[in-house]
Amino acid sequence: MSVNSRVRTWWRAVRHEDVVGAQVEEELRFHIESRAEDLMRGGMSRDEALRRAKAELGSVAAARENSRQAWGTRWIDEVRGDLRHAIRLLANSPGFALIAVGSLALGIGANTVIFSAAQHMLLDRLDVPHAEQLRLLEWSEPQDGVVQAMWGSSDGEPGGGQRSTSFSYPVYQQLRKANQSLADICAFKEPQRMAATINGQTDAITGEMVSGNFYSTLQLQPQLGRGIQESDDGEVGSGPVVVISDAFWSKRFGRSPKVIGKTILINSKPMTIVGVNPAGFTGAYSAQEHPDIFLPFSMQPVVAPQALDPTWPASLLVNKDLWWVLMMGRVKPGVSTAAAQAALNVQLSAAVRGTMTVNKDSQVPRLILTDGSRGLNPYADDMSKPIKVLLGLTGFVLLLACANLATLLLARAGARQREMCVRLALGAGRRRILRQVLTESLLLSCIGGAAGLLLAIGMGDMIPRLISNSPTPPSFHASFQSQWHIFGFTAAISIMTGLIFGVVPAFHAMRVQVSGGLKDAAQTATHRRRGLTGKAIVVLQVAISMLLVVGAGLFVESLARLGNVPVGFRTHNLLLFSLEMPKARYSDKTTVPAIRQMEEKLAAVPGVQSATVLRFPLISGGAWNTLVVPEGRHYKPDERHTALVNGVGQDFFSTFHIGILEGRAFNAGDTGSAPKVAVVNQSFVKEYFPNVNPIGRTIIAGGGDHSSILRIVGVCTDAKYYSLQEAAQATFYRPYEQIEGMTDPTFAIATRMKGTDLLPSLRDAVQSVDRNLPLLDVRTQDEQIAESLQQPRIFADLTGAFGVLALVLACIGIYGITAYSVSQRTNEIGIRMALGAEPGRMLRMVLSEASWLTLIGVVAGLGGALALGRVIANLLYGLKAWDPLTLAGSALLLLAVALAAGWVPAHRAARVDPMQALRHE
Amino acid sequence: MAKETPVDLLQGTLDMLVLKAVSLGPLHGYGVLLRIQQISQGRLEIQQGSLYPALYRLEHEGWIAGEWGQSENKRRARFYRLTAAGRRRLESETKKWVEFADVVGGILKTAPEEL
Repeated sequence: MSVNSRVRTWWRAVRHEDVVGAQVEEELRFHIESRAEDLMRGGMSRDEALRRAKAELGSVAAARENSRQAWGTRWIDEVRGDLRHAIRLLANSPGFALIAVGSLALGIGANTVIFSAAQHMLLDRLDVPHAEQLRLLEWSEPQDGVVQAMWGSSDGEPGGGQRSTSFSYPVYQQLRKANQSLADICAFKEPQRMAATINGQTDAITGEMVSGNFYSTLQLQPQLGRGIQESDDGEVGSGPVVVISDAFWSKRFGRSPKVIGKTILINSKPMTIVGVNPAGFTGAYSAQEHPDIFLPFSMQPVVAPQALDPTWPASLLVNKDLWWVLMMGRVKPGVSTAAAQAALNVQLSAAVRGTMTVNKDSQVPRLILTDGSRGLNPYADDMSKPIKVLLGLTGFVLLLACANLATLLLARAGARQREMCVRLALGAGRRRILRQVLTESLLLSCIGGAAGLLLAIGMGDMIPRLISNSPTPPSFHASFQSQWHIFGFTAAISIMTGLIFGVVPAFHAMRVQVSGGLKDAAQTATHRRRGLTGKAIVVLQVAISMLLVVGAGLFVESLARLGNVPVGFRTHNLLLFSLEMPKARYSDKTTVPAIRQMEEKLAAVPGVQSATVLRFPLISGGAWNTLVVPEGRHYKPDERHTALVNGVGQDFFSTFHIGILEGRAFNAGDTGSAPKVAVVNQSFVKEYFPNVNPIGRTIIAGGGDHSSILRIVGVCTDAKYYSLQEAAQATFYRPYEQIEGMTDPTFAIATRMKGTDLLPSLRDAVQSVDRNLPLLDVRTQDEQIAESLQQPRIFADLTGAFGVLALVLACIGIYGITAYSVSQRTNEIGIRMALGAEPGRMLRMVLSEASWLTLIGVVAGLGGALALGRVIANLLYGLKAWDPLTLAGSALLLLAVALAAGWVPAHRAARVDPMQALRHE
Repeated sequence: MAKETPVDLLQGTLDMLVLKAVSLGPLHGYGVLLRIQQISQGRLEIQQGSLYPALYRLEHEGWIAGEWGQSENKRRARFYRLTAAGRRRLESETKKWVEFADVVGGILKTAPEEL
């Protein structure tokens, strides 16, 4: 036998079905005629001979079918037949088709959207060749480690140690030189906000500083021009070049190829554009954000000098104490990660000892190589829980849609019992029937899946960003990097749902007894069992609905409570904007007078009621935490004594309507050279000066060399600082003139005018002081608060929609099963009524059945909801996951829906005409 | 995929007979029927309905090859000839059949005293 010929004939039969069929017929015709001629030779008449020949050969259609079986194409015909049958059935009941496809589309669409979000936020890799070869360098050290100053994120480790990905630049240089176990080590810094001036217009952008071997290590080829090279990253200031992102190229340069060689100002320093990155490239920090520009580290002292500590030089490249640079390398063929880690660990120790003074007792950090294919994957920790909860909830929605379809199909199966019996009686195999029924459910689920995918693509743009506190919030829809995964996922869940909801009716169809099914009266023979399956599914449906409704209730209530939480300050009619005052041009000495000038000019703008400035805007997620020691108190080393602090302008309290209870607010006398003062809040007084008048007392704020002694001049009411969720905390305020690091201030403008009307004059006021400062993040205080509610709002919106969907599906399910049961029992009801049962009694009988089912489902759902509550407890605000009101409300809502859904069929049962019902049979 | 026609001994035999008939020279379907009847001297009645599926199956397996040609009465007919694979198949089938017949025949002819 040869595979070749098998494939050839099979392919021919598939491709040229008509031609092949015609040939078979021609061949058979030749056979019949030849046979007839032989018979005629024996003396038979032509007609008789032909008839005889045909009879001997048998049916031509059967022969044709058998031939297709021989070629292995018969199953194609069968599937085609099943599909045609299924389509005809669906077309015959458009209402059913609409409900089925609609609920599946919603279920599958919701799953696809959440899955693609999960995929994008948690699993997307950096868009560079062989991202899986990248390793990120990390270190961990015990509590008494040598790393004291850090700019970057770190995680606490059990035992008081810490773990981080930030290294000092000198350590990077030594490690890179010593390294032999990774292909190369490149360095980068997470994107920073910068100001870009192009053709006289200044905008806020984000820039990632990278080492000279960054592009070669990542094997990244710019789509235009060149990448950053070693020669750009030599002496300080040696590489005034930037590579811009694809999006930035489109937005600011209209994708003009002439952009190469153009000079723009970055933080007021001229830089030349030498290349454009490919569209999907996100840098090495994350796979979600797209920094606008990439520049070499050699430009850091020029473009982005940091004045974190006045004693440090502007160049961080020679700073041996500050750990801030991120490192990544590519694995070398033949060197295992463990071996590379061991070798690099030794080299790190040497580098640390070579650059820092390490005391006898201090520990050097231990190096760890981790997966770098997703960069630092900065959102995984925060987002994985919410996304998993959403994935779980959407999974329940889909399960609900499945259960719904199973009940509907089951009801239809009852009506189709005779059809199945006829098929069985005519010799169809049970497997054949099973296949037919499954084809129908798969057809439904695939149509639903396709509709769901379209819905998901449409919804993708509507789903808001899940991250609100990043400088460049990754947009949600922009990068479907892994479209095939998403498509595969949708296809897989479509098929799975089809199998899940199709299995019940399929087994039901298999159970049909030929002998009984063909008799009309036998309708009740399987009734009990079938009724049970249907009821079990309805109970399941109600239970899942209960779960989703409770979830919706909890998240919506949570959002409502957050929205109504008293913040302790005025939120309306406040316009906010921020500035980034380049450290290249502003020192601590010049910053304060400039801000002062702007404050005055802003307050003088017509329409402005008052203007003030803050070190940290309120409810922005960021706050400044410091050590405090009130006068005359001493603390043990492990005792907590911190408070929140904010630097504010003198009109801060009046602008934000924060009441001064005792003493005074700041005034024009609190200048940089005046005695240092503070206003503390009530919680501060409660914690540090219980039963004492704090006015006139002093506190020591800050630790070590940076501490200052402050005199308390006033007490104000409590106000929220960084988030709505925070509890009242000890907080104090200082005049901004008396603190350092005011180079990114936020201005708050109290006005009754519309922001858009006022903005041009505000911009003029700021730019009359410095014409190169763009107004950043213009928003109202209300918008600032709304933004912090983004995640709770997404949860409330999505779960609310799921809850409504769940109620609708439960309604359909209960209606379906009740109506089905009434139609099955028309006969019985007719007899009961003929024997004198009252219509009201029938009504109650049907309704009580529906309520019982719902009640069991609700109780089961309560159990599920309590289990769910443990998972979502920390996503809620202001209420427990077993909030009795929400639970009771959801239960009542479901019962009401069940009664409403059961009412129509129950009413129909009560109006059954006994005569009609008995004749019906 | 479920084969709904039961596979029985006769079907295997029919395949073998068709291969043998075609091995003596290219034949069309009706010709195969006639040749088997002729060789068997009419002792073997072939179900005409099962002949064509058998031909298609053998062609599908690559043991015979079909080609359109002209019949003795000048009409278009499909002629089948044995392929090289078919010849090997026929030989092995023949060998198996002879062995089988030998064994079964031996058993059936066994007289009681021989045990």
